Amino acid sequence: MTLLEAAEKLGLKPVAGQSRLSRELDQGYVSDLLSDVMANAKPGDIWVTLQIHQNIIAVATLKELAGIILIGGRQPEKQTLAKAEVEQVPILLTDLPAFEVVGRLYQLGITGRR
Amino acid sequence: MEIRVVEDIEADRMFIEIVDDGFGMDEERARRALDPFFTTKTVRRVGLGLPLLSEACRMSNGDMQIQSCPGKGTRVKATFQHSHIDRKPLGNIRDTLITVMTGHPQVDLLYEHRREDKVFSLDTREVKADLGDIPLDAPQVVSALRALIQSGLEELGAS
Repeated sequence: MTLLEAAEKLGLKPVAGQSRLSRELDQGYVSDLLSDVMANAKPGDIWVTLQIHQNIIAVATLKELAGIILIGGRQPEKQTLAKAEVEQVPILLTDLPAFEVVGRLYQLGITGRR
Repeated sequence: MEIRVVEDIEADRMFIEIVDDGFGMDEERARRALDPFFTTKTVRRVGLGLPLLSEACRMSNGDMQIQSCPGKGTRVKATFQHSHIDRKPLGNIRDTLITVMTGHPQVDLLYEHRREDKVFSLDTREVKADLGDIPLDAPQVVSALRALIQSGLEELGAS
């Protein structure tokens, strides 16, 4: 499944990094603690978080994550969007809470095995 | 290098101040130090130390200020609301200090931690003077320092 297919199934709204939406997806990570993501996320993970500061783009780049889903109707800060465009890190928005997002991704076969 | 931690419970503030006498930064660099994609490292494209500290301050009703002067050094002052529910705990200060001291034994470090009316301080210049020829990172010295910091912080009731 690609990031774009998952986004369509969950009704996520891509707002940055459009060129990387065709990336294949099979694993994910959820955390709002950036140091934890740096320590435990794996390359290719889709990251589910409520953090909207530009630091998330640096973490996603450092860890080569597939993209970031911002939950609960949160909007990325202006600088976050700008950095995401430059780095082509996909950002996807949803009104759903994290638990719902992760549950629905899991149903699509995207797991969190480490 | 000097690291000062002040826990002012009455004013409900916590300060962490880090002062060095290193290269310093001009205004442009000091401003860009908050950009996570700005770094002087050559092995990686991102530098998250100051951006993460700044954001940690902001998330607990505080802020971070950088004062720097090329050729003189840099002063970083981080402020937090002490009681804020999202204020990150200080973490393991003892092991952090040991890492700093043994990782760069040539750098002099002053650590000062105030909590209300109590103070713990450790100055590696004094330790080095007492040690004479024995290096700061000798195993017996490290374990003595670890015990000293542990008991000092416990006496403060540091958080």
